[in-house]
Amino acid sequence: MLDFLRNFPQYLANGMANGCLYILVAMGFNIIYNSTGIINFAQGEFSMFGGLFTYALAVSAGLPIPLAALLAVLATGAVGGAMERLMIHPLRRAGVLTAIIATVGASIFFKSLGRVFWPSEAYKVPEFTPGTFRLPGATVSKQFLWVTGLTVVCVALVYLFFSRTRAGKAMRACSVNRQAATLVGINVSRMSLYSFVLAAALGGAAGLINAPFASYGMGLEIGIKGFTASVVGGLGNTFGAVVGGLVLGLLEELIPGFLNVVLGVSTGYKGAVSAIILIAVLLFRPQGLLGRGIAEKV
Amino acid sequence: MLEINNLSAFYGNIEALRAVDLWVRAGKITTIIGANGAGKTTLLRAISGLVPTRYGEIRYVGTNIANLEPHRIVRMGISHVPEGRQVFYTMTVKENLYLGAYLRAGRKRWREVAEDMEFVCHLFPALEERLGQEAGTLSGGEQQMLAIGRALMSRPRLLLLDEPSMGLAPMVIRDIFSCLKKLNREGLTILLVEQDAMIALSISDYAYVMRAGKIRLEGEASELMGKEEILHLYLGEEDVMGG
Repeated sequence: MLDFLRNFPQYLANGMANGCLYILVAMGFNIIYNSTGIINFAQGEFSMFGGLFTYALAVSAGLPIPLAALLAVLATGAVGGAMERLMIHPLRRAGVLTAIIATVGASIFFKSLGRVFWPSEAYKVPEFTPGTFRLPGATVSKQFLWVTGLTVVCVALVYLFFSRTRAGKAMRACSVNRQAATLVGINVSRMSLYSFVLAAALGGAAGLINAPFASYGMGLEIGIKGFTASVVGGLGNTFGAVVGGLVLGLLEELIPGFLNVVLGVSTGYKGAVSAIILIAVLLFRPQGLLGRGIAEKV
Repeated sequence: MLEINNLSAFYGNIEALRAVDLWVRAGKITTIIGANGAGKTTLLRAISGLVPTRYGEIRYVGTNIANLEPHRIVRMGISHVPEGRQVFYTMTVKENLYLGAYLRAGRKRWREVAEDMEFVCHLFPALEERLGQEAGTLSGGEQQMLAIGRALMSRPRLLLLDEPSMGLAPMVIRDIFSCLKKLNREGLTILLVEQDAMIALSISDYAYVMRAGKIRLEGEASELMGKEEILHLYLGEEDVMGG
């Protein structure tokens, strides 16, 4: 028990770092869900692109890392936009379920595309500033500061976008009542495009701060974790994702840590934690910790 | 102002509108009355582009607007207050009104939008007191006022209203209808859909009676008001009396 408590700060730091990734991915899920009603199964692949693009730009092309990261986020946003225009938009009359199934196809396509260009199992994405530093009770990589800092900035920007800008308000209007949004002259199909671009950019940002490694296969796990976080926070509740991501990230460290150190259970079960949390939330609190958010309050 | 010729629309294979002809004169209040399921709502939805039409045309100041995208129709000056109000529940009253001016708000016409906001607040003082409140917390009557206010924020020339009296107390209905009359006197053309025939006729200039997707009867509102027994034939008892 004492060992567990001694490691506690380390668990917190690791959990927060992962939680930040989940926040970004979960916000992507929520933004698309709110604007279109679609659960985007290709959300994790946006993160794959973010990581691999950063690798390509920073390592293969030798650009400075901040520039490479920025371009990677923009490029991933463009991938999201292209996906919406080429696949989701043509399906707009076919119903939400059809579109959801199409996103499964997009996920497979993106993964294969990633494999064509980046066939190795892992590419080392450079950290923004390498190295670690010590806190009382924990050793933390400097990347950790970037991860939390960038996540805070992203969340703040998304918040400002939705509360202050015309397009952001229009997207919220779409999520509350799509028909009424149409009747005030909002071009709902354009809002769908914006939501994919925004969600892809956020997913891309998550992928590139997920240093040190990126690979074509990383999308599945990060997608499932992000989806779990969005369900924990309340699917459709954009800022519930913040709570969901942090809760998931922390529990994912604390539960296996506790089981391992105190009860001697292997940490091999770590991966099951998020699945169990997802099932538990769906069974006992399907609206999520913070409620479903705007889409369902009608 | 609005001329509908031989308009048909389908839901799947069900013909919801059958060769409808209708004329909305500029500066007047025209009303469509009819029982539930008569096709009134579908007709309004077809005008604002929410429901695709199959045959016929909808001419608005000379152009055929049938099957245009809804946001283009709003831009041309037609604003639709939908059935059941459909305000943005989780957004504030102010945000709702602001979104009503969505098509203008991005074009650096802040002053105009602010003026319109003032105009709506003046028309519905109840809204002014609640600008910062979430729309979902308003009473039914206030929500109806907000829905109308939101529609006015796009500076329409033609206002479409779907059952504004639904579920409201008689006193509130009277207030809202007198506001509509006032707006009309200031030059707004109105096409009103109502189940409550008598109150609709009381403020209207011209009226159409719909049943099963067709126009069955039309005439000056004042004339139709005197023909209660004919209205009974088309509407059923409770609808004439207001139900």
